[in-house]
Amino acid sequence: MSALVLTREHARTLLLDLFRTPSYVVWTIVFPAMFFTLFDMPYARHDPAVADGATLAFVVWAIAGVCFYQFGVGIAQERGRPWERYLRTLPASAGVRFGARIAGAAAFACAAAALVALLARLTTPVDLSPLQWLTIAAYAAMGGIPFVLFGIALGYWCSPRAAVPVATALNLLLAYGGGLWMPPADLPQIVRHVSPFLPTRAFADLLWSVPYGTNPLPALAVLLAYALAFGALATRGYRRDEGKRYA
Amino acid sequence: MTVLLQFDDVFKRYSAVTALAGVSFAVERGEIVAVLGPNGAGKTTALEIALGLRVPDAGRVRLLGESPRSTQARKRVGVTPQESGFPDALRAGEILRFAAAHYPNPQDPAAVAERFGLGDLLGRRAGELSGGQSRRLALALAFVGRPELVVLDEPTTGLDVESRRRLWDVVRDSARDRSVLFTTHYLEEAAALATRVVVLDRGRVLFDGTPSSLRERFGSRSVRYEAPGGPVLVTTDDADEFVRELVRSGAPFTGLEVGRASLEEAFLSMTGGSK
Repeated sequence: MSALVLTREHARTLLLDLFRTPSYVVWTIVFPAMFFTLFDMPYARHDPAVADGATLAFVVWAIAGVCFYQFGVGIAQERGRPWERYLRTLPASAGVRFGARIAGAAAFACAAAALVALLARLTTPVDLSPLQWLTIAAYAAMGGIPFVLFGIALGYWCSPRAAVPVATALNLLLAYGGGLWMPPADLPQIVRHVSPFLPTRAFADLLWSVPYGTNPLPALAVLLAYALAFGALATRGYRRDEGKRYA
Repeated sequence: MTVLLQFDDVFKRYSAVTALAGVSFAVERGEIVAVLGPNGAGKTTALEIALGLRVPDAGRVRLLGESPRSTQARKRVGVTPQESGFPDALRAGEILRFAAAHYPNPQDPAAVAERFGLGDLLGRRAGELSGGQSRRLALALAFVGRPELVVLDEPTTGLDVESRRRLWDVVRDSARDRSVLFTTHYLEEAAALATRVVVLDRGRVLFDGTPSSLRERFGSRSVRYEAPGGPVLVTTDDADEFVRELVRSGAPFTGLEVGRASLEEAFLSMTGGSK
């Protein structure tokens, strides 16, 4: 059985389970679009540049949210369960299980981001060419990597009980601080100083570079640094859990 | 005979507790081996080491000639999930097909479902299955991949006597042409299913042989009586001589009973009543 076929099977099973949990679907897919409608659409309705910025900010928030919940909360809650233990006895490598999780999260992230983009297209003068959307999609895939690792780290360092509040707090604080809900220039003075160093802000800067023509490299550098840090944290967390549970 | 699973002097310790203190046994092709013991005897640890879920501190374990952590070996092994912890939203049929997808030459999931009495339940969500139904699903998962070795962790715990017996029939039937290793703390289960019993107590193998030799070794007759210090149970091959001895000693006793020793009694006298 090829690893690819198995990864697809694992991803399908994971998605089926998640899709039949309505609260999860609403929280991760509908929430970003809903917030966009409530808070940003009124401001974005008249100015294409504002519309572009707000839309891409909510694309970032949609992706970050999926990472926090699907990896962070998902892993934390599942790692002690009998089903997870059963999966380890099946002839599938850890690569297959992680690959499936990443593919499943990518599907959710695409759905959540696409819903934001679609709403923006329908209700605001968002002004992006097909080529720009393609570039944004590629950047979004890159920018998502540190968030995937962040989520995995969260999942292995948080107890199942702590995972939901921790993920929620991080999700909301990083969205606010990263200038995803309002333009960074409108943030309070003190937050404005911290903002450029937050992963959410770097991710947003990366996407904003497409319509605004700014240099994407500084944002990429910040994201790379976060990817390395969260990658190390995720690896340590995974090993620690392996050692505790399966040594 | 081919050895499918081999434990050589395996040790495992969790901080203060020694779970396995030098365990050796083997499962050969065609055998149904019961690992029998009271709670805390080390049964689950032994199984987890056999499946590559845990690493032994010392000793050697080979699963189908390979390390238990190898994916290759696990393609030839079928396992039941513990405590029937399925994702609630998945349907029984989806879970069965998912497990089957891992094996090179699986059985038809529908046929397996039929055999385990799940035929009408394939469309039902795991969260809506009764305890007995999800136990049967768990067992079906272990067999669906046509494995050479099936490993069952307490396959019938929590089931009533009737469903337990029905499951034994299914397992016995499905176990033809393959080997089974299962843990249990029911003697009756070991006697009904196993061709060989490995008795584990406090991390050590107390006995390794056929169910009938277990009975032979610890006496075929049981003698029970009430002594001033409490109830006494003795298993012996010569109950007559034992009773004569007891009477001659002049020790006070009441309620003398002599009978055929059950496996349960052999086990109790062997583990010093720690069950």
